[in-house]
Amino acid sequence: MSLLRTLPMRRHPRRTAGTLVALVTIVPLAACSTPTASPGVDEETVTIGTHTPLTGPAAAGYSSISAAASAYFDYLNDNGGIHGRSIEYVVKDDAYNPATTQTVVRELVQEDEVLAVVNGLGTPTHSAVLDYLNENGVPDLFVASGSPSWDQPETYPWTFGYNADYITEGKVLAHHAQQTYDDAVYCVLGQDDDFGTDFTVGLTTVLDELASTQTYSVSNQDVTAQIGAMQAAGCTVNFLATVNGFTALALGTAAKMGYRAQWLSSSSGGDYPTLVGYLGEDVGPALLEGFVSTNYLPFSADDPWVELFQKVNDEYNDGAPFTGNTVFGMSVAYTFAEALARAGEDPTRESLVEALESGEVVGNGIVPLQFGKESRRAFGGVGITVVEGGVQDYVGEVYTTDTGDGDVVVYDGEAVALENEGIPEG
Amino acid sequence: MDRFVFLLGTGLARGTLFALFALSLVLIWRATRIVNFAAGAMAIVGVYVGVAVTGVTGSYWWGLVATVLAGGLVGLVVERGVLRFASPRSPLSGVILAIGLVIVLQSLLGIAFGQQHEPVPAPFSDRPLRVGGVPLLSPYDVFVVVVALGLMAVLRLLFVRTTLGLQLRAAAFAPEVARLLGVRVARMRTVGWVLAAAAASLAALLAVPKELGLNPHAADMLFVYAFTVAVVGGLDSPGGALLAGLTVGVVMSLVTGYLGATLAPVAVLALLVVVLLMRPSGLFAQAEARRA
Repeated sequence: MSLLRTLPMRRHPRRTAGTLVALVTIVPLAACSTPTASPGVDEETVTIGTHTPLTGPAAAGYSSISAAASAYFDYLNDNGGIHGRSIEYVVKDDAYNPATTQTVVRELVQEDEVLAVVNGLGTPTHSAVLDYLNENGVPDLFVASGSPSWDQPETYPWTFGYNADYITEGKVLAHHAQQTYDDAVYCVLGQDDDFGTDFTVGLTTVLDELASTQTYSVSNQDVTAQIGAMQAAGCTVNFLATVNGFTALALGTAAKMGYRAQWLSSSSGGDYPTLVGYLGEDVGPALLEGFVSTNYLPFSADDPWVELFQKVNDEYNDGAPFTGNTVFGMSVAYTFAEALARAGEDPTRESLVEALESGEVVGNGIVPLQFGKESRRAFGGVGITVVEGGVQDYVGEVYTTDTGDGDVVVYDGEAVALENEGIPEG
Repeated sequence: MDRFVFLLGTGLARGTLFALFALSLVLIWRATRIVNFAAGAMAIVGVYVGVAVTGVTGSYWWGLVATVLAGGLVGLVVERGVLRFASPRSPLSGVILAIGLVIVLQSLLGIAFGQQHEPVPAPFSDRPLRVGGVPLLSPYDVFVVVVALGLMAVLRLLFVRTTLGLQLRAAAFAPEVARLLGVRVARMRTVGWVLAAAAASLAALLAVPKELGLNPHAADMLFVYAFTVAVVGGLDSPGGALLAGLTVGVVMSLVTGYLGATLAPVAVLALLVVVLLMRPSGLFAQAEARRA
């Protein structure tokens, strides 16, 4: 319409007619020259995008994730890309503000014409674009949040989660605690939103009783009152549904108050290098000794995935600090590349979702991804990590469970092995 | 009862920090009749300088001095370079310039130092002393209280007992009359900004060890609560800032302890609303005649 309006229609009716005829013939030809009409895909590149906080208070905890993912895509592109196409990852800053998320995701879809939104970060932020992406049939892959609400294939068929959900983490940690500690008094400190609530639901599914349930609000960086209450209640085993900063605050505050307890954290707030960053190199390692957390991604220093990610981090990410966020971002990037490789020579939005629904995309976690026609849940299980001698590593079993009241069971399969230097083949 | 005493102690420690930062807002209000919305970001610039100096010299106290000096310098630059150009006709002009300044300062700090939180250790033990088995104030909390009281005493002396203080008050209160009487109003405004920014940097330096660590946004919430404190106490009144700061700290602590953390910010807002309804100029504001 806008094209026609710029043509001089009134003054040169004949030329207009000629132009129109030319247009009518050219347009289908142009369409033929690229066999796929799918947005975000051309001969050379596949364009995808994400929303994530790069500025504002939340940037401290999360801005390294998209940088790591971009580094992995650069590594892939330098090694031939996927089906000969390189991947362009458009990272949009939403400052963790849902209103901004809505704006930048519309830009991604309407202006950048991305094939998919990959690893949009945050529960409140991503909830603001969930309907929009699904109404417009845009694949919404690997949301960076453990909210169970991404697993609704009936309502939101285009959305796929990524993090192990908070309910699963709560159930597995509670089960691990039951197996490990005798005569424990269990308590929880949770963020005052769905993170804390869902995690606590997971805990209470397994445990009979929590002696004290405390919450914190991110707007108040003083948790003395809560830790004092846990100390007064005689809690000996404390679960944490806290982001990394507040895990550090909780442990630091407890230490100041001379309160010793066993701490078990969700993977969202249990990253050792990040926690040491908050607590300081001098006191951090001592405070974190024996600290328990869940994880579902490769983390051991001698794991082939970790070795690869470290190499990519050095070469393509300027040797940024190697943390759980680095592994997370690169794992997401690998998983998208794997899905793209399975989506055919000429991927479309539909074929991408079909590839994930086929169950053939397994990711790189300690349990394979369990996407399918009826499942948008990425990880059905998690492992337990413990800090020993300043090193955080997996110990004991890997467990799987559901988000309902099903049992926590030991996973007896293998972790997904590294193949072909982490470059998925179609 | 133990629990109540514990929450009271926690609240007082927190409230002192609010009061200290609120003092800087009161100061700038007394000197220029402006609420400085950039106070948090400006203060953090001073803290970055101070922490760097502590890192180089190994002395907390040199860092503290550097923080105060750098904070004052930031105040000078901001007043002379930015806020001076705010339109005197509309109070909004200064507010909007200040908010723009927040964005610029926080972005520059983020580019220069990164977004991660840098731990800043306290110069004294922050283990609370136990009284009758209940953990109360730590030596560091006591240090903060002493600094807050000391700063207030100095400011009171300055404003009430010195010629400079009189000129500052005159320039803010009735700039035209003051100018006619030979007070260099523009210079007084600059002095007010320097003092206020230095006090804010000091407050932020003291607050950072009690929080996540140093980050471009480290004073954001401190500013929000301190602003509430300043308004509740009366923007004009240093004593009001102290009492309101302690009140807000204790209210937050008690609400967090007895009702839950989610309600604490709500309770502070409720307090603000009640005070504004009952005494619009703040609990401890002086007589109406003092209004500009």
